[in-house]
Amino acid sequence: MYENRPPPEGINVSDEHPLKDFFILFGGIGVAIVILVIALSFVAGWLGRFVPFEVEKKWAQKALSFSESVGDVSRSEPQGPGDDQPHAVQLYLQDLADRLADAQGLPDGMGIRVHYVDDDTVNAFATLGGNVFVFGGLLEKLPHENALAMVMAHEIAHIKHRDPLVAAGRGLTVGLALASLAGLGNSQAVDAALGQVATVTVLKYSRNQETAADIAAMATLDRYYGHLSGAEVLFEALHEHSQSYEPPIFLSTHPVTQQRIDAIKAYRRHASTTGALTALPTNLPLAR
Amino acid sequence: MLDLGIFLTLLVLGYGFGRVAESRHFRSIIEKERDFQDLLTFSERTLPTDIGDVDAALVGGNVVISIDYFKRIAAGLRSLVGGRIGAYESLLERARREAVLRMKQEARAKGATMIFNVKLETASISKGQNQQVGSVEVYAYGTALIPTAARPVASGV
Amino acid sequence: MLVSNIEFIPGKKISKHLGMVQGNTVRAKHAGRDIMAGLKNIFGGELVGYTELLSEAREEATARMVAQAAAIGANAVINVRYSTSSVTAGAAELFAYGTAVILDNDRA
Repeated sequence: MYENRPPPEGINVSDEHPLKDFFILFGGIGVAIVILVIALSFVAGWLGRFVPFEVEKKWAQKALSFSESVGDVSRSEPQGPGDDQPHAVQLYLQDLADRLADAQGLPDGMGIRVHYVDDDTVNAFATLGGNVFVFGGLLEKLPHENALAMVMAHEIAHIKHRDPLVAAGRGLTVGLALASLAGLGNSQAVDAALGQVATVTVLKYSRNQETAADIAAMATLDRYYGHLSGAEVLFEALHEHSQSYEPPIFLSTHPVTQQRIDAIKAYRRHASTTGALTALPTNLPLAR
Repeated sequence: MLDLGIFLTLLVLGYGFGRVAESRHFRSIIEKERDFQDLLTFSERTLPTDIGDVDAALVGGNVVISIDYFKRIAAGLRSLVGGRIGAYESLLERARREAVLRMKQEARAKGATMIFNVKLETASISKGQNQQVGSVEVYAYGTALIPTAARPVASGV
Repeated sequence: MLVSNIEFIPGKKISKHLGMVQGNTVRAKHAGRDIMAGLKNIFGGELVGYTELLSEAREEATARMVAQAAAIGANAVINVRYSTSSVTAGAAELFAYGTAVILDNDRA
């Protein structure tokens, strides 16, 4: 009359392996995120080209005026005592940039404005509105003008390709999309993991931009000097410096340094002759 | 880069230890259920008419089981796309069967042969958000029928 | 399979009580339902998405309980009880349990 019959196992627990379920989910959502990022990047890039350079310059002016180290964006006069030497460096850099910009063939209305920051930082970058920043620490590492020209032409190429605007637009759209999806996973770790997937995708675009800028810079140097000697000096110096640790390629904004050196050497083999290196002006405190 | 490393390590640890603990638990549950097979449980309230002389006592058993990191991430991913969360189903199955076994244990200690009107309550102590430990509590309780003849004379065994 | 939450089924006699059977499922909502619910938070009203989700989950839990009963040879589950709990944010556990019995068809 009264008995207990034990029900069989497996009715309330599915026998599907949890790892298989997990990987299908993660893979599926990951692919969806990558597609979303690619679509948004494409839209950002496409829309970016429609923004006229004049408008971009105005935005940059507003943004840069907040930065104290820049102060007045146009530095046509020395700013005070002790600024004579840095100011002279800036004039030289601006002059070099203008000549390289001519050689590169920028579209009408696009001009380069160079800002020299008297600092030990080893860096140079291009940002909105045609503004290029060069730091003192970088100039220290360059033994001659050809190496400096490679860096300068690379940054000018970024401006020509409208890279700062496109990158900013992409960052904005992808960031917005991820922010609106955040919190839905009910777990910080899930949001972080999916954010990583999006970051890795966006970094690939960054590397593409850098490679394109390198190629344009090499062509410019060829046109300006007639040869490509000495162009890879900076990358070689950086390569030695970073031998201890370079992040894996898929997590990096720039292509591997060795790849960039190899690209320059390959171009040199195919292209014109070698030539004499142009020295840096001696009256400026460039090599300390 | 470091974040990714930590995340993967926790995931692997959670999966490894979680799976081992779960299979071990299920094995012990199946074994104990065989032991307690003769202690009958029903969710009915009506007692059998031919029950004889019995004492009634409320018995219960509860257990709290925590989720591991792997389950948490799997649940998080699942709640983006919707559907069944298999990882949690196995967790709750374990917790329920363990709770019923503990209730039976208490009943046996009292000398019972049947438990009637068994009810189960599930609660979540903390849902596991914001780095808190997520856990699930199941409480099983019912009325145990102790034949007066078999009531243990001395308390404790 | 007869499912009921009373103890005596009118017109039928219980010939054997077979013990407890349980069915449960843990269901998560998807992101879309969450967004709709967020909007409803402002305007109020029934969250149809969640209602559907929980009904489906309850049906599945009941189906599992019935499957357990069938597997042990019962033809009815009596004294069925339901329990809903939220085990993790955004997911709910639906639990159904009852006693599986074998009914005699008494009615002439």
